[in-house]
Amino acid sequence: MAVSKKKHASQPCVIPGGFTVLDLKCTKNSPAAHQLFVKEHKVRLEKTASRPLDRTLFVLNIPPYCTEDVISRLFSQFGPIQSVELKDKPGNPEPTEQKLSKYFTLTQKQGFSVGYIVYSKPSGVSAAKAHPQNVPLIVSTENHPVKTGLQKWIHQYSQSFVQPDTLQQAVDSFMNDYDRRKEEEAERKKKEAEQQEEDEEGWVKVTKGAKGAKARPHSEVADKRALQKEGKKTKRKELLNFYSWQHRQSQRDHIAELRKKFEEDKQKIALLRAQRKFRPY
Amino acid sequence: MKRKVEETTTDGDNETESIEPNLDEDGDERPTKAPKGDSKRKASNPDLVRPLKVSNKDLYKAPTPEELNQLKETESLFHCSLLKMQMEELLKEVALSDNKKRLVDSFVLKITELLQSVPESSVVEVSDTTWLSKVEVPFILVPKSTKGKFHMEPPASVALIGSYPLGTCIKPRVAVDLMVTIPSSVIHPMDAINQRYSRKRALYLAGLAEHLLSSKEVGTLRYSCLHGNRLRPILLLTPPGKNTSSLTLRIHACPPSDFLKPSHLNPRKSKIQTEWYTGIDAPQPGGADTPTPYYNSTVLGDHLPGAHLQFLSAVRDQCGAFKDAVALLKVWLRQRELDQGSGCFGGFLASMLLAYLLTSHKVSNHMSAYQLFRNALHFLASTDLTENGITLARNPDSKAPSLSDFHSAFQVVFVDPSGHLNLCADMTTQTYKQIQHEASLSVRFWDDPTMDGFQAMLMTPKPLVRTYDHVFQLSGLAKMQSACKKLDLFSELMDHSGNYVVTALPLLLSLLQRGLGERIHVLAHSLPSDPEWPVTSEPPKHKDQPPLSFGLLLNPDHLVSVLEKGPAADSPKAAEFRQLWGDRSELRRFQDGSITEAVLWEASTTCLKRLVPQQIISHLLQLHADIPPSCIRYVGGLLDDVIIVRKESCGTGEEESLKVVQSYDDLSRKLWQLENLPLSITSVQGAHPALRYTQVIPPVPVKLDYKRFDREKHIRALLPQEGKPCPAYITPIKVICHMEGSGKWPHDRLAIRHIKAAFHIRLAELLKNTHKYPCNPTPTHLDVWKDGLAFRIQVAYHREPQVLREVVSPDGMLLVRDNPEAQALELETQHRPLLTSTLHGLQQQHPCFGAVCRLAKRWLGAQLFSADVCEDAADLLVAYLFLHPAPFTPPSSPQVGFLRFLHLLPPATRVIASSSFDWRNSPLVVNLNSQLTVADYTEIKNAFVASRESLPTMFIGTPTDRKLSMWTAEAPSVQMLQRIITVAAESLHVLEAQLTDRTQTQDVRVAFRPPLDVYDVLIHLRPKQVPLVESAVDPPKHPPPRGAHEGAVAGGVLPVVDFNPVSLYLTELREAFGDVALFFYDPYGGTVIAVLWKPKAFTPHPFKTGMMGARCVEVSEDKASTVPNVEAILHDFSVLGEGLVHKVVPRTEKWVV
Repeated sequence: MAVSKKKHASQPCVIPGGFTVLDLKCTKNSPAAHQLFVKEHKVRLEKTASRPLDRTLFVLNIPPYCTEDVISRLFSQFGPIQSVELKDKPGNPEPTEQKLSKYFTLTQKQGFSVGYIVYSKPSGVSAAKAHPQNVPLIVSTENHPVKTGLQKWIHQYSQSFVQPDTLQQAVDSFMNDYDRRKEEEAERKKKEAEQQEEDEEGWVKVTKGAKGAKARPHSEVADKRALQKEGKKTKRKELLNFYSWQHRQSQRDHIAELRKKFEEDKQKIALLRAQRKFRPY
Repeated sequence: MKRKVEETTTDGDNETESIEPNLDEDGDERPTKAPKGDSKRKASNPDLVRPLKVSNKDLYKAPTPEELNQLKETESLFHCSLLKMQMEELLKEVALSDNKKRLVDSFVLKITELLQSVPESSVVEVSDTTWLSKVEVPFILVPKSTKGKFHMEPPASVALIGSYPLGTCIKPRVAVDLMVTIPSSVIHPMDAINQRYSRKRALYLAGLAEHLLSSKEVGTLRYSCLHGNRLRPILLLTPPGKNTSSLTLRIHACPPSDFLKPSHLNPRKSKIQTEWYTGIDAPQPGGADTPTPYYNSTVLGDHLPGAHLQFLSAVRDQCGAFKDAVALLKVWLRQRELDQGSGCFGGFLASMLLAYLLTSHKVSNHMSAYQLFRNALHFLASTDLTENGITLARNPDSKAPSLSDFHSAFQVVFVDPSGHLNLCADMTTQTYKQIQHEASLSVRFWDDPTMDGFQAMLMTPKPLVRTYDHVFQLSGLAKMQSACKKLDLFSELMDHSGNYVVTALPLLLSLLQRGLGERIHVLAHSLPSDPEWPVTSEPPKHKDQPPLSFGLLLNPDHLVSVLEKGPAADSPKAAEFRQLWGDRSELRRFQDGSITEAVLWEASTTCLKRLVPQQIISHLLQLHADIPPSCIRYVGGLLDDVIIVRKESCGTGEEESLKVVQSYDDLSRKLWQLENLPLSITSVQGAHPALRYTQVIPPVPVKLDYKRFDREKHIRALLPQEGKPCPAYITPIKVICHMEGSGKWPHDRLAIRHIKAAFHIRLAELLKNTHKYPCNPTPTHLDVWKDGLAFRIQVAYHREPQVLREVVSPDGMLLVRDNPEAQALELETQHRPLLTSTLHGLQQQHPCFGAVCRLAKRWLGAQLFSADVCEDAADLLVAYLFLHPAPFTPPSSPQVGFLRFLHLLPPATRVIASSSFDWRNSPLVVNLNSQLTVADYTEIKNAFVASRESLPTMFIGTPTDRKLSMWTAEAPSVQMLQRIITVAAESLHVLEAQLTDRTQTQDVRVAFRPPLDVYDVLIHLRPKQVPLVESAVDPPKHPPPRGAHEGAVAGGVLPVVDFNPVSLYLTELREAFGDVALFFYDPYGGTVIAVLWKPKAFTPHPFKTGMMGARCVEVSEDKASTVPNVEAILHDFSVLGEGLVHKVVPRTEKWVV
């Protein structure tokens, strides 16, 4: 393999920060290359099993046309790969709540991404880090062409069609699942309610509840509404212009309002004057 | 990357600053700083209004009586104190400074001395002008010979007259009138006949000019004539030195006031003999000479300036606010271009009008300037001087002509204090009607508290092209001479001493008025301008004057009729009708059985129907005045060219849009009728610009050529073929279909999404089974192929945004938190359908609303701003023009609407700064369906001021969106708005120049071609793969085959819907390189994507794992910094757009890597 021969000829390029720079070209003849930055994955507080610390390679700056397949093909030259994960931004893997059928997952942003490549053996990571910069990785080769541009869009368009039956099945399975979960939850609630009731001897078991929840579900909106009601009540009871001091007060308020407006207008005028907005032509 | 030229960045921060106001033209600078008291508060951002904080102590202190009075007055008289202060500021702005007055006084003194020293000369024949060595006589000597003797003598007196001594003179263009009395020895009482007096007057003026020419005290010396009247030449003087343009001294030569008796110059008298004028000796048998009212009033007018000044001074001394009121009126007239030229309503007439109101006790002497001004406008609006003239004469002497005498001689009658002179002698009926129209508009706008009356009334200029729906120009004024002959106007021509333009104008106007009839509200014409020429050359010929412009204010109700129905064939009026229309008039039998004379104009589309007035005008002028159509430059539909949908039919898309709407209505009906749905449909609403007539390229029904497509095997659908031109773009027309709310809907976002998908499947099934429409249900929408159009139905559940907003906090509290996802959904399913139906309603009221929107959006697109001003925002801006047209009327032609759209945007340049919109300090409120009250307006404004910083740059408020401006929340940014404004100002300038000046090249597309030199990289696309390239501003000559033809078929196979490679490409570009660059594209068929680097991205960053997209590393001194990897990015541009991109052109002359 041509790559391995040259390996001895030149050194890997390591930059401050510990990243190794790998060049990546779209095709063999591409005039310019992107720089991939790779490093072993090292995060102190991560406890996920999907990214074992010794075997995971962290890759930055992966161009949009490199899919997970392409990356796994490119990096398999350094050793057998267990999994590849591409993400928008570096960070913890998102906990996937539930499995959605592919029709309902939202489309990913097609920007530059970061990758976590998990090798079967730790040697893969070090091999990748030792790769010299002047031997670029080639994305699209004759054997493995990568579709971009028009070809890709036409392909996407034809893939966007779904058989109504399959779609219906996906919907049905999800809804069944959903209904089941709903039922389970209802069951659980019912049980909780039962627990709160008196037993035969008249005892009530008082618990903190599952998440410290109150007995009745409450919402912010309801709270606000109650407050508003209170406020309205007091306002209704108030008398306006009943006492002479109130009358005086309202007159004073009126003048104050006029004054305030006057001041505001003065400000506006000053501003407009400053902008010379009064020259008619 | 480094910029080579800093100034060329459009994105640079330096453009955010507002352009510094220029200095005065007249040089008296004033500090532009804000007053001292405000300077501290505004230190951070001087141009922004902030919420004001006044301490309670200040607000509640005991008022003084004066203050109380003032507050009460402003409250009751004006809407707010703002108006009062605005007026005061305006008056300060136009008043002459003391400095200037001193300048004037000293200049007048010097000139007076000079004039007094005019040397005497020997007596010569009037026709002998050899004694004038250096200057020409400012008079067209036709016929050549005149009797009489002339000699020069120093003037009997020199006195100031007109606005300056009266105190009503305003800036800019300060004109000071100086009356030079011709000594009585020079003129003879018999000189009134046959222009002898006028010629002597001109000679006298020439004598003065010759004397002044050698003086050092005079800067420039030119001739002009008063209100375009060639019988009354005047001499224009400017002081020497640099400030020549700011001050003009006008020298009028006048006879002594007792030179001729006014009764001799009665409008019925004849003072020009036909024999003399024609040169034919034999007098016309049987008739006395025809009266020469116009000539008489010209001569008489020279006698009276002194008397008028006396009269006005007396009035002014009575009324304190007189001067200010006249100044306001003058500003008002000037903004409407009514204050200059022949037949104008100048400052003098304005003073006289106010004097009339004051002396006839229609207004009181104690009123404020504002009240006087308003009353004057009200009087103008309600009084028709063409029918009921008014007179200032209290006790006219017995010889004075009666009002009816005046009416028979002149079109507009306003008699001066002496009772002998009609001040409006040269005004045409149409000009007066125009004034009346303007006055009534102004009064109406002023009463509307929701708008800024001050801006509309006094600050906004109303040039002809932007005011009137259609404009046309008569060039080749020489043709007017033949028109005079054809119209048999010999005696009038004699009366106007050969000025055939002025002579023929009233008749042409009344002819057009008759012909256009109900189609127009107002027929206005530009006033023939006062010619000016140097004293050393001969006066310009009548035909050399600039062309006359006419403006039509169309009446949209009667515009669309192509038939002019005349009287019944046997009625006596039929002959008159036939006479008017000539051979175009035909006998026609109508469905109701009547047989009448009628004229039928040819127009098949709305676009052509709008241009019927053009046909009428050219027909009438050709028929009655021998003016060939080549002399008429009609500017009514020049801009239609860029929005024409199909070249053959010459329609501007109204018909196509109507078809779309009809098809949609049918679909909506069919949806309602569907049975067996689990939940019933509660509403079907369109949410697409095509359904409100504002889609730039309205969808056209198409028939498909199946050979040019691949097939999708399982679903009967077509696919684009690789390696072939991109198929025709089929716009999916969005329809929102709300389903009934019910307990069956799940309360979970994912579940709702699935249920909606199930609805799409169900709807597709039903539509396919009952109506045989090809359908394609997807999780997010359902595409339906119907009548050659693609509809995209989206099911909505009205509580979904609410569900998206709900979050359960850890302690079990149900919180409602707004988030972008919910907002986007609400926008899509609630606000956009509502806006669509509201604007659809607006289109029904104003038939050209859609066309203006399409022009505006076309322009935004062509100038690459589509991404910044979304379609809905652009439509709202145009709706603003229709709902709040002040000081104009709602546009009735696409052209004028578009010009006003361009004018709405820009405050950038000085020229149009006065009226443009101030985005920074005021919200643009579009009162759709008039739902907002005055209180709502204040509320919106207050909320706006309170949180200006956090609101979008371009704030558009509507009744349903009072605080957020949802359509402009994302874009444009400050810089982009600034850029849009600059480009709009430039486009407006180019277009207006083209529309008004016939010497310019006629290519309105210039305004639709973007300047590409400001961008850093240009990505050229292959036209074959740009599906809309046929509708581009400059379409290719040979469009590639797209596999679609016009015409609809029912059923069949689902076509390729919404497949636009360019927009897919742009999405990818923006997602990948959005941090590094901005991408601009014309979505209506552009073949270039313009790229602008973001300067911020190019300053080296330290190495950060979070932001490494498309960057490369440079190591120096053990520190890694990153910059964008420009070469790789450029290469990626072509990789991502493989097959679509023709070439990527980095414009490295502007930057280096």
